[in-house]
Amino acid sequence: MRPRSLRRAAVALAAFVSLAALSPAIPARAAGAGIQQEVEGRLMCHCGCSNLTIRDCACGTAAGIKADIAARLAAGQTADQVVAAYVSNHGEQIRSAPVRSGFNLVAWIMPFAAILAGGVMIVGLTRRWRGRGVAALPGPDTLAGGATAAPADRDALDRIAREIRDTL
Amino acid sequence: MAEFGTLCLLLGLATAGWAVVASFNGWLDRSGALVLSGERAIYATWGLVALAIGCLEYLIFTDRFDIEYVASYSNRALPAMYKVSALWAGQAGSILFWLFVLCSYAAVVVAMNRRRNRPLMPVVVTTLSSIALFFLLLVNFMARPFVGLSQVPIDGLGMNPQLQNPFMAIHPPALYTGYVGLTIPFAFAIAALATGQLSDTWFRTTRRFTILSWFVLGTGILLGGWWAYVELGWGGYWAWDPVENASLIPWLTATAFLHSVMIEERKRMLRVWNMSLVIMTFLLSILGTFITRSGVISSVHSFTRSDIGPMFAGFLGVSVIVSVGLLIHRLPLLQSEHRLDSFVSRESSFLFNNLLLVGAAFAVLWGTIFPIISEAVRGVKITVGPPFFNEIMVPITFGLLTLSAICPMIAWRRATPHRLIDKVRIPLGTGILAAAVLFAAGMRDGYALVAFSLCAFVVATTVMEFFWGTRARMKATGEPALGALWSLVDRNKRRYGGFIVHVGVMLIIVGITGSSAFKQEATAVLARGESFGLGRFALRFEDIVSRDDPNQEFLGARLAVIEGGRQVGTLEPGQNFYKAGQDPSSEIAIRSTLREDLYLILSGFDPQAGKVTLKAYLNPLIAWIWIGGGVLILGSWFAMLPDLRDRRREAEARLSAAESYATS
Repeated sequence: MRPRSLRRAAVALAAFVSLAALSPAIPARAAGAGIQQEVEGRLMCHCGCSNLTIRDCACGTAAGIKADIAARLAAGQTADQVVAAYVSNHGEQIRSAPVRSGFNLVAWIMPFAAILAGGVMIVGLTRRWRGRGVAALPGPDTLAGGATAAPADRDALDRIAREIRDTL
Repeated sequence: MAEFGTLCLLLGLATAGWAVVASFNGWLDRSGALVLSGERAIYATWGLVALAIGCLEYLIFTDRFDIEYVASYSNRALPAMYKVSALWAGQAGSILFWLFVLCSYAAVVVAMNRRRNRPLMPVVVTTLSSIALFFLLLVNFMARPFVGLSQVPIDGLGMNPQLQNPFMAIHPPALYTGYVGLTIPFAFAIAALATGQLSDTWFRTTRRFTILSWFVLGTGILLGGWWAYVELGWGGYWAWDPVENASLIPWLTATAFLHSVMIEERKRMLRVWNMSLVIMTFLLSILGTFITRSGVISSVHSFTRSDIGPMFAGFLGVSVIVSVGLLIHRLPLLQSEHRLDSFVSRESSFLFNNLLLVGAAFAVLWGTIFPIISEAVRGVKITVGPPFFNEIMVPITFGLLTLSAICPMIAWRRATPHRLIDKVRIPLGTGILAAAVLFAAGMRDGYALVAFSLCAFVVATTVMEFFWGTRARMKATGEPALGALWSLVDRNKRRYGGFIVHVGVMLIIVGITGSSAFKQEATAVLARGESFGLGRFALRFEDIVSRDDPNQEFLGARLAVIEGGRQVGTLEPGQNFYKAGQDPSSEIAIRSTLREDLYLILSGFDPQAGKVTLKAYLNPLIAWIWIGGGVLILGSWFAMLPDLRDRRREAEARLSAAESYATS
């Protein structure tokens, strides 16, 4: 492959991976999404028969709350005001997810902090293992560098040869 | 009969206790007779527990309502299929069933290892019988299935209507078979740690058990989702309920183990990590049972709550101390024989794959237990519901998809960027093309675009792996294309079975993405002859329908499904009213195609006005979740089939184990 096309492919791969990583930040345009659905999604149904938000629950309690939310929004309340009214009546438990402040912030941060810490640990260990180990040895790519077959074929050929050897 | 069942369980307690004592002492004293006696005690325990199960089923089928369990979970009119599943409808029965599955696995393991893995078997039997002993203690003293009633009711209360569904008859046994199967690699890992025989025997011996448990657990999770979809009547299949989460967490760590064990097999690396993963998976499956059975976290599955929580917590604590203690004790013997050569290598990509899978398991566990943490720290109980899990899991899933696409193309030890990019070109191009086509077709949902294009990327990688392998085989052996393809997959069933599993997972993700990003819904109150629209369909209320059978009475509405002015079908959503006096349950009506599901719920009926209230959902691509599940099962079965290399390795392992036992 020529260096220019190599660069292009590398840029495309980097862009693709970045898009995947950043996609949660891309605003989704759900069909029919609106302030009513947003509020319904922020509140849990307390009917006792499910672990569903008001938006998803199909019970009579949820139907009543949906009607109440619609009435409050029609009366000019904002989404936050409607949610706050429900929290003051039913407690924090009615929120479908913890708020992103104070102690509850720990709930949101911890999973990613743990993955980040694990990533740092892997990088650290890999560096240590590389330093101690057989880093000077060439890898299979380097060994096969002079071959004429396409790279994809070379990997597959290596594997096939191994499999044939193993099953003889 | 109840007395006989009680006697069987008491005798089972004695035989399991003897299995623990005999196997452990046989191992310490190197007494073959004691070891053999311990193994026979496993068979005896299995027989006694099977008899107890038979007794309970007999009592259920003969409507013996003088037994509390039968009176609580069955009734005269209950259909035979649900009389069988009444066994696991309540707590005592489900723990008894769990015990039966465990004893069955233990008996199979003992039978399969009569002549092999002899150095490990005493500790394997000690571990399995100790776990069986714990569950026998529960069914003998805490959750007793044969307790009598002083006042005998004329009929039983019947089974929870939501459990009267064919999927619910299969879902719990599948989950239990998966959960309990994960005990087998754990028992072998403990045996390897205790005996110091830390070669690859323990994980090679249990490989099929691990894959079997993994895919049965996965199937159980999918069946649970299917049950929720057709029974609970909210148009979805996964609500991040704590009990659902409890089954997903060990499945994720088992998935990590299935990947990382390949590194140990090939490179003798990650040995401590693999031991840790197996131990973690077992402990998480017990934690899952603890969450399910203790009622520590409120959930829809609260019908099985009781006060056995402290017993589970104690068992979990002892298991942690023993397994972690053994692991620390053997750390010096678990040093890796090889080192990593490069960041860009198959080994390191597997490490990152494990990081994300274990990170996902941690995120789900963290969200599940955070309400308890919040209550303990702040005194305020909060809810961690679906929006939290969806937001946390989406980026992790995208990371996993990216790795699934790239990982198979990275060479072992060290891949040069030039070569990697050359291999990744076509699959990556396919992913980008998929995103471009979908965008041009009008899709603007960021999550969906990324998810679909990543799925295309992974599927293209898989197709190219088959293509490159077949082409290379054709060059190496001169076989024709189809013959080369068959030889390729036949000689390395695990690798290509794994790729089929990847395709299954991609189909599931396509289904999840389509049904969550593009779901449409509508509610309508209709009189006869009136219609309402949803998507490209119109639904016209035609008539009220009712049906009566000995167990229940069905009342529903018949609706004509109209597409493009033409009637394409009829749907009858309704409610079942159970004669045993239980609350009515919704009977959903679904018109399912590969493109979408039209899902109808009858949420209200006004007999005076002759009007019905209907809730309708249009769930695009949802059928692909179940199809993907089928592909996943197919791939898993294929990966479990033995190939020539496996047989040769097993023979070598057996020979080397026999030699080491003879010389030690």
